[in-house]
Amino acid sequence: MKDEHDNHGSAAGSNERNVLPSGVTLERRDDGVAVITFDRPGSSANLLDASVFGELGRLLDSLYASSGIRGLIFATAKPSIFIAGADLRALSENVSASDIEKLVDLGQRTFQRIADFPVPTVAAIHGACAGGGCELALACDWRVASDASSTRIGLPETQLGLVPAWGGCTRLTRLLGPAQAADLILKGKLLPARQAKKRGLVDAVCAPENLLDLAVRKAVPGENRPGRSVMGLLRRLQAPVVRPLAERKLKTTAEHYPAPGLALKVITEGALRPTRQSLRLEKEAIVQAASTDVCKNLIRLFFLREKASRKTGKARLPERMAVIGAGVMGAGLAQWFSSRGSRVILNDIAPEPLDRGMRAVRRLYRQGVAKRALTEHDARRGLDRISPADGPVPLPRLDLVIEAAAEKMEVKRKIFQELEEGASDNAILATNTSALSISEIASVCRKPERVIGMHFFNPVHRMPLVEIIPGDKTDPEITGAALDLARSAGKIPVAVGDKPGFLVNRILMPYLVESTLLWEEGFRVRDIDDAMTAFGMPMGPLRLLDEVGIDVAGHVAKTLADAYPERMQIPDVLNTLIQEKNFGKKSGRGFFHYGGRKPEPNQELEDRQTVTREDGPAGEDLAERPILALINEAAFCLHDGIAAGPEDVDLAMVLGTGFAPFRGGPLRHADSIGPARIVERLRALEKKAGARFKPCPLLLEKAEKNEGFHSR
Amino acid sequence: MASRLAIIAGYRTPFSRMGTDLAELSADDLGRIAVDALLTRTGLDPEVVDEVIFGCVAQPAEAVNLARVIALRAGLPQRVPAVTVQRNCASGLEALTQAEEKMLAGRGEVFIVGGTESMSRIPLLFNDRASDRFTRLARAKSLLDKVKIASGFRPADFRPRAGLMLGLTDAVSGLNMGETAEVLVREWKIPREEQDAFALESHRRAVAAKEKLREEIIPVFAASERSSEPVRDDNGPREEQSAEALAKLKPVFDRQCGTVTAGNASQITDGAVALLVASEERAHKLGLEPMGFLTASAYVGCDPKRMGMGPLFAIAKLQADHPGKFGPADADLVEINEAFAGQVLAVLRAMDSADFARNALHRDDPLGAPEREILNVNGGAVALGHPVGASGARLVLTALRELTRRNGKRALVTLCVGGGQGAALWLERE
Repeated sequence: MKDEHDNHGSAAGSNERNVLPSGVTLERRDDGVAVITFDRPGSSANLLDASVFGELGRLLDSLYASSGIRGLIFATAKPSIFIAGADLRALSENVSASDIEKLVDLGQRTFQRIADFPVPTVAAIHGACAGGGCELALACDWRVASDASSTRIGLPETQLGLVPAWGGCTRLTRLLGPAQAADLILKGKLLPARQAKKRGLVDAVCAPENLLDLAVRKAVPGENRPGRSVMGLLRRLQAPVVRPLAERKLKTTAEHYPAPGLALKVITEGALRPTRQSLRLEKEAIVQAASTDVCKNLIRLFFLREKASRKTGKARLPERMAVIGAGVMGAGLAQWFSSRGSRVILNDIAPEPLDRGMRAVRRLYRQGVAKRALTEHDARRGLDRISPADGPVPLPRLDLVIEAAAEKMEVKRKIFQELEEGASDNAILATNTSALSISEIASVCRKPERVIGMHFFNPVHRMPLVEIIPGDKTDPEITGAALDLARSAGKIPVAVGDKPGFLVNRILMPYLVESTLLWEEGFRVRDIDDAMTAFGMPMGPLRLLDEVGIDVAGHVAKTLADAYPERMQIPDVLNTLIQEKNFGKKSGRGFFHYGGRKPEPNQELEDRQTVTREDGPAGEDLAERPILALINEAAFCLHDGIAAGPEDVDLAMVLGTGFAPFRGGPLRHADSIGPARIVERLRALEKKAGARFKPCPLLLEKAEKNEGFHSR
Repeated sequence: MASRLAIIAGYRTPFSRMGTDLAELSADDLGRIAVDALLTRTGLDPEVVDEVIFGCVAQPAEAVNLARVIALRAGLPQRVPAVTVQRNCASGLEALTQAEEKMLAGRGEVFIVGGTESMSRIPLLFNDRASDRFTRLARAKSLLDKVKIASGFRPADFRPRAGLMLGLTDAVSGLNMGETAEVLVREWKIPREEQDAFALESHRRAVAAKEKLREEIIPVFAASERSSEPVRDDNGPREEQSAEALAKLKPVFDRQCGTVTAGNASQITDGAVALLVASEERAHKLGLEPMGFLTASAYVGCDPKRMGMGPLFAIAKLQADHPGKFGPADADLVEINEAFAGQVLAVLRAMDSADFARNALHRDDPLGAPEREILNVNGGAVALGHPVGASGARLVLTALRELTRRNGKRALVTLCVGGGQGAALWLERE
């Protein structure tokens, strides 16, 4: 959806207004309502920092002193952002605790002035209203919101390892009660306007064009929000009950992610104390949270993500495209792109596989509706954009073709030969291969310059990463266009080199292999997986193999073992499982058994372990070997030029595999351990377990120089 | 000479008996699938389309101006207008002939036309008394009034009226379509055995034509939650259909003395057809190869009680309009829509009847019935089904495909139309 509603915050021009350097404008309307509009110069976003607070404070002072003001409205002049939150750069790497305290004090003081303002205050929310923006809105008497799709309201601080500390925890608790406040703050969810209204976070919703009028109508009767109500007080008294309930939900993540716990403490303790004390709790909590590496890693990832999402050229979401192959990936791609607005020809060679693909698409849409990510109407419109085609069809007027057929070189080459003949000349021809060489696929084409790898991850609708892989002849312009295309489709692209496994699978494979080797050495499925989830992985490696499919993983393992025989191999147990047709989740059995409510370790397989360790993992850090193998391979990727820099490696691994985000990515994690220590451990393992642990030359170099992968 | 309308390509969904494979899809779903397949398989740039014209008898209440809904859902540009047409059983033909008329009037050169019907989803209706109560209930202000009105409902109020049955009953003569067929078979003395034999042959031909028909059918994917297969073929034709089984069926419309049964009547069916048509010149400019041309067409009214005789009047009108041309004998193929086996047989008798020619058609010589060998060669609506709004377009598509296969030149397509009309048109290949 496009928003074409500029300047709905500012009203008719005849009124008196003055603009301040940080883009904060004050306008006194003839009807006595003052409008403060945020319009940060040279940016599409409004952010809060010390200078904005300074100017806002002075404006509030002057308004306070002047007479004849009947109401005060806060608005934005940006097309899709109210206030996106604090300027996070202020919290980057080397900020001191006292700096944070100062900024928190400044924000709390300023917002308290808004809360104490004698005439009614109204936040006219259009566009993203997150973090500090939401805290400003909470300090107002009334909140009205536009129903534009860009309007999203909430406090996502905990997702960055922070705690809302400009009154967010305190005021949201007072507005909605501790249970609702905890729900919103701990999940960090941003709500669309209608949902925010349902929850009571905003008072009214209207079209963007009517927003200012509605805000004025809220302000003009001169009513401040009614103060404490009995209901509100009763709700706040629930705090002691809310806390243990919410804590139980946090249990699994609390160790790695302290911020939600800290926020919960502020919410529940602050609920029963005066505002001033609750604000002090906020401050203590954020100082504690911001000092952690977790917070720094999460903020750093946030910036990496932002940077990788920024478009550099003109390429847009494809208007028309084709997906060749209606398997799991093909269906996932067709669903994703069609839901974003592209018309997609979904092509397969016969009706039966196409029918399965279309069923998968329908299922994805149904799930989207069930999860309220989409409306019934969106889902139908999306489905309508997919044109299923069994057998060859003309492919004219396309912007993009993504091949997602079987992972066999002959198959792909044949398809690309046909595509070169059939598909429109200016279409980008992409392959979604996860293992095969782009250059080799492209070599059958007369114009290999428009062939590129676009490796999406499964499930497409959930995985934000796309590896963009130019072949040796790919036109750099096509690479740029493919990057932007992925961005336009709401994905985050990382350009990687055309070597087997590309980046993510290559780094992941030694980790998966090492985990299965641990099993072959007698450790139990459950112990291995538990060790890795305790490390912070979203899912244990053996479970992940089951999800991916043992056969698919075996295929990738083979490609990689052929390419890097010195470090990679196909574990025997994978071959055994494949022979027995136990492909993991899809066949009901792999390392785990799927049938009951929860997957249980496959007892039959475990009974066959030739070696067993009766004592279990006593005294061993089961996570160490897989993680070291992963870090070493990450270093090799950097060394071999597969990724442009350590940031790309970290971002890709976090987005592509869920690598413990609080650790900041594998190379960031390596830095925190120290390359020298890693080399030492790798050498010890090399002696004990074999040559596959031979440290990467780049690691040796870093250890020697005693520096990290990331410059501080 | 004015430009001819070229029929360039056409696809249809399988025709599925009511309540079976396609029952979950609405008329606009079916139409969208057919139009989308037409665009995808031809690769046509939808920007060149001047209008979308679709026929449908029972337009779904939630898709008023169904053609517009289909066009937008299938990805036609917003600026391309769309109109839904209704000439009962000839709605699918009406879409085609309207395109021709618009072309001749200089109002467009490229059209997507067709017809769609979901007879499975024709709604049940409340009777007038219940509707009235609902209206008053909605208007009632006080709770007391509401309770009063609500308590006035009687069980009989909730007995629905089947929209399908209402639609198949002629409003003027008051006869159900099947009853009009009974009139014909009585008057033309067509025995039950002959009707059943004709029906059996329709099934036999449709079954034998399965592979041929696949050329015009596009599979429907993920059509329902229940099945796990694409819907690929018409499910009306019965391979195992026997004369004995047909003979056992009870007459439906005249239970005592009638001869029209569910077995020798057309099936109630869901389906959609889409055709790409354009003026000959425009087709040539766009590099589109025509399957054939629409060379003449006529609609004419007749007695609603004997609506099944419609084809005779339409054929006669065509001949009268173009002296010396368009006699049934000129056709390499003839399609007479099989509303009822007995009705087609009555038409064939009347075609050879000098009396009928003189008295009803006011001409000296009879029209002359076509040989059975060139009539409905791939089966007809008795076997394939009759999704009323779509059938006309299906006949055109099936006839043109067959004409191409046989390398024939001319086909005559004709239908009887509920309410007392006949439609006939001539298709030609170069």
